[in-house]
Amino acid sequence: MDVKRDILWRVYLSYIVVAIVGLVIFGKAVYIQQVQGKHWRSLSDSLHQKIVEVDAERGTIYSEDGQMLSTSIPQFDVYIDFAADGLREKNGKRFKENIDSLSYCLAGLFKDQSALAYKRVLQQGYVDKDRYFLLKRNISYRDYQQLKSFPLVRLGKNKSGFIAEDKSIRLNPYKNLAFRTIGLARDSFKVGLEMTYDSVLKGKSGNRLVRYIAGGVSVPVEGGYESEAEDGKDIVTTLDVFIQEVAEEALMKEMIKNEAEHGCALVMETKTGKIKAIANLGRRSDGNYYEDFNYAISPTEPGSTFKLATMIALLEDKKVSLNSTVNLEGGTWKVADRTVFDSEKHGRYEVTVKQAFELSSNVGMAKLALFNYGSAPSQFIRHLHQLRMDTLTGIDLTGERSPVIFKPGSRFWSATTLPWMAFGYNILVSPLQTLTLYNAVANNGVMMRPYLVSTIKDQGVALREIEPRVVDEKICSEATLKQLKECLEGVCTEGTAKELFKGSSYKVAGKTGTALVANGSRGYEDHIYQSSFAGYFPADNPQYTCVVVIKNKPFAQVFYGASVAGPVFKEIADRLYTTFVKQSNYASQKNIRKDSSVFSYAGYGTDVKDVMKSLSWNFKDSSGIDMDWVNVSARNGSVVVANRKTDVNKMPLLKGLGLKDAVYVCEEMGLKVDVKGRGRVVEQSVLAGQSIAKGQMIKIILN
Amino acid sequence: MPSVEGMRSQLLQRTRGDKYIWGIVILLALISVLVVYSATGSLAYKMSRGNNEVYLFKQLAFMVMGMLIIYFLHRVNYTIYSKVAMILFMISIPLLIYTLFFGAKINEGSRWIKLPIINMTFQTSDFAKLALFMYLSRVLSKKQEVIKDFKKGFIPALIPVLLVCGLIMPANLSNALLTGATSLLLMFIGRISLKHIFLLILIAMIPVALIVSVAVLTYDGKKKEKDIHNTIAEKSVSFGRFGTWVKRVQDFVYAKDTETPYQVQQAKIAIANGGILMGLGPGNSRQRNFLPQAYNDFIYSIIIEEYGLLGGAFIIFIYLLFLYRCISIFRRCPYAFGAFLALGLSFTLVIQAVANMAVNVNLVPVTGVTLPLVSMGGSSFLFTCGSIGIILSVARNVEQLEGRAEPVVQPVTTNESVTSKIVQS
Repeated sequence: MDVKRDILWRVYLSYIVVAIVGLVIFGKAVYIQQVQGKHWRSLSDSLHQKIVEVDAERGTIYSEDGQMLSTSIPQFDVYIDFAADGLREKNGKRFKENIDSLSYCLAGLFKDQSALAYKRVLQQGYVDKDRYFLLKRNISYRDYQQLKSFPLVRLGKNKSGFIAEDKSIRLNPYKNLAFRTIGLARDSFKVGLEMTYDSVLKGKSGNRLVRYIAGGVSVPVEGGYESEAEDGKDIVTTLDVFIQEVAEEALMKEMIKNEAEHGCALVMETKTGKIKAIANLGRRSDGNYYEDFNYAISPTEPGSTFKLATMIALLEDKKVSLNSTVNLEGGTWKVADRTVFDSEKHGRYEVTVKQAFELSSNVGMAKLALFNYGSAPSQFIRHLHQLRMDTLTGIDLTGERSPVIFKPGSRFWSATTLPWMAFGYNILVSPLQTLTLYNAVANNGVMMRPYLVSTIKDQGVALREIEPRVVDEKICSEATLKQLKECLEGVCTEGTAKELFKGSSYKVAGKTGTALVANGSRGYEDHIYQSSFAGYFPADNPQYTCVVVIKNKPFAQVFYGASVAGPVFKEIADRLYTTFVKQSNYASQKNIRKDSSVFSYAGYGTDVKDVMKSLSWNFKDSSGIDMDWVNVSARNGSVVVANRKTDVNKMPLLKGLGLKDAVYVCEEMGLKVDVKGRGRVVEQSVLAGQSIAKGQMIKIILN
Repeated sequence: MPSVEGMRSQLLQRTRGDKYIWGIVILLALISVLVVYSATGSLAYKMSRGNNEVYLFKQLAFMVMGMLIIYFLHRVNYTIYSKVAMILFMISIPLLIYTLFFGAKINEGSRWIKLPIINMTFQTSDFAKLALFMYLSRVLSKKQEVIKDFKKGFIPALIPVLLVCGLIMPANLSNALLTGATSLLLMFIGRISLKHIFLLILIAMIPVALIVSVAVLTYDGKKKEKDIHNTIAEKSVSFGRFGTWVKRVQDFVYAKDTETPYQVQQAKIAIANGGILMGLGPGNSRQRNFLPQAYNDFIYSIIIEEYGLLGGAFIIFIYLLFLYRCISIFRRCPYAFGAFLALGLSFTLVIQAVANMAVNVNLVPVTGVTLPLVSMGGSSFLFTCGSIGIILSVARNVEQLEGRAEPVVQPVTTNESVTSKIVQS
């Protein structure tokens, strides 16, 4: 057994060696854990843990009638990692098998390139082994969902190499509508309401400690500190999509017609100061118009609409009465070393103050101001101050710029400053200020602060309601007010806007303005006129105040306030009047005498003809062959079938239509229908022949 | 008709061999199920869309298979293994050659072949190692009389070792070194002349010294380090995995915190995550998501992470206990072949375990060695089970010889009477 013993010590020696190695291993483990532990654990945290920002969702901006004006929606940028193992394994088998069907699907979804073109770029990317190949930017959620079901893509990220990066973008569903006022929520430079209410809208982003696990997925670390993201609040604006659309359309039409440089149209609710519409259009180099700048809050030389302020001063100080006379000198008057011209030739001399205002005579205003305030110009300036012409309106919109009014003693003050100021030159005032002033007159002397946001909401619950705010209880005496109204109404009946409002079914009070504006260093040489119109309607019970300012192109053919800005005002007023103001007109229609021999029915062309034939009625067919909608009426004792087709932008006559047909016709035109009663249409809130806008509400009554 | 109960008690009665070893095997298998289930989390997530149970059941299937192998092998009279060893060794050589030239390539080294029918890849070196150690036990036991003789003792033992190591080396140097070292230990225990052994060590050191010196010489400080790795890797394409070896040695020798190989870094984080007494708890490993091969080569780190240093110490203890029990079998075994078989196979197994743990705590460079019985199943797991089956077979015989063994033979089946005859012969 010698051999066995010889072996045994060797075995034990080996055993001891193994045991020692075991101890060393354990010792090293203890060393790593206890001595170096801190280092490794912190390395682990730095490698696998990260504090990520949890984005808060930005609030939505609503119109007063609850339409979304600006909201956040998810969008996706899709990239492909052509070096993904799953894609390239087995010599790119998966890629090659799927590329044709994938290209076909992509072309079908995006419709921007042919399947062949898609195949080519994908193959190129594959050859280049691009790890971050941009397939498409800004894909909507719906498209993305569809994309995910495509061949290859549906195999998942690892196998297809498809990477989608989601982001939240701001969407303005109404696109250009009040775009500048709603604003931009871009990171670098926000404008408009997005800027003004940024702190409300943006919410508070939170932090979360996450640990990365398999497959690049991260999970929140329990007990890791975190702060919840707080979503932004929603804001409800005073803007009304319909009124805004009306204002924008009307402005756009006139701008295009005159190739004007830029313009704006503002509508204010008289009693509250709510801005119901604020349209700004600027001409782009390609000739299109775009909401590029908020002209409404940028001061310019206002021109004749400013004469209202001059009148207030004169009347308040009782310097003149409406019947005092003033010599217009035929429209040309030299004062100091400069000459005042009346922009509209009238050739009149001795007129009343009221007439001078209605004729928009610069000479008249210059004379009245110089004669009455020449010795004490600061008295006139004080009036302007009281009318808040020298301060910001305080509208809740970032970017409102300060007006400029020179004061006696300033180095810009000269002998001509006062007379020129009286007709709206040598002074910078924004359209919004003009609006506020005219609104105060309309609102019986109560000046309202213009505002754009009425409610701040959180999850549909109002957090804060913003009430209308009075900034001046009484801008002038009752007597002055009465005279001012008389003058403003006079402008529309006797004065410069006489032609414009001829035959109008409601009274308008307003003032035209035509100002020659300076073009930078070129001064007044380019004959650029700024046409404006400010006023309110209906004059006897003002509901809305509206200001339109359009800066014409150099040497424009038409530039008078009444013929450029005026029509815009009129269109806005007409449509607002029929939609919101006029409700009483039904009464007069109802009293029409009934004549049983007269009838008018409408229906689907072929159906109507079938009915007539089966009843063996004789009828005259003046409709075309394929007319869908026909009108059956009695004409000189015989039955006539005529086609009902009307202008697409004009309200058709609904009378006599059944409910189904009426709703069809209206909705086909993009109107929203509110129905009352049953039977056939007897009344419609938007009268036949009026122009309409998409999304407009129409009430019909059936009986 | 034997009832289920009856069958069970029969099975238990027929299960012989060292109870401690059985216990250790079952304990390690249970630990393995727990840890592998936890560690395959990320693999399961990637491969089977979060269906973690796939790997659990796979592991359980391997467990059952392994236990069956152990059971059947331990029922066989170990003397048969003497002949089997020779046959297996004869098979293993052409198999290794085949693998070297036609095997599946993973990381440049061809180590694997696919079995045609059951469609399972296995590392031929595992098979060859088992065959080699069995064969070595046979040679050492047979040559005891002339063991100190160079020609008659040393050379017959050396040749199979050189053959196997030489064939494994091109694809898997570390494995070859480990096999070689284990063989040397067995030769030492088998009383081969120390002179011869040291001579062998000297010769074996030449390639190792070459790699280390190349690694040291080409390592040119921090700045150019990256370029050098690249150039060497590029240059050494023709030398097979020479570049990889050099890089590993460099990584190990010159490792700084930032440059520590990713696996090592992650393994250390895992060890640091576990406490002394308690780790993060079963199934709570964090590093499994980052540590490559967490369920395989680096399972020991995960054990420390989940069960703390105590768990790590326990694993070491268990392997040492296993080795101790095997030594006791050796002591009690009167026949040289059985004694050597028990020693050779148990030392191999424990050395592999120690090597794996040493890699985990970064005592030695990263090599692909599994932790026997604990790492996720695969061919190596089954071969380990084979070793244990053979060791238990020896143990069963020893018990029998000591008279404690085989109870009253149940009367019935013919099969059993055949078995008992073999046992008695």
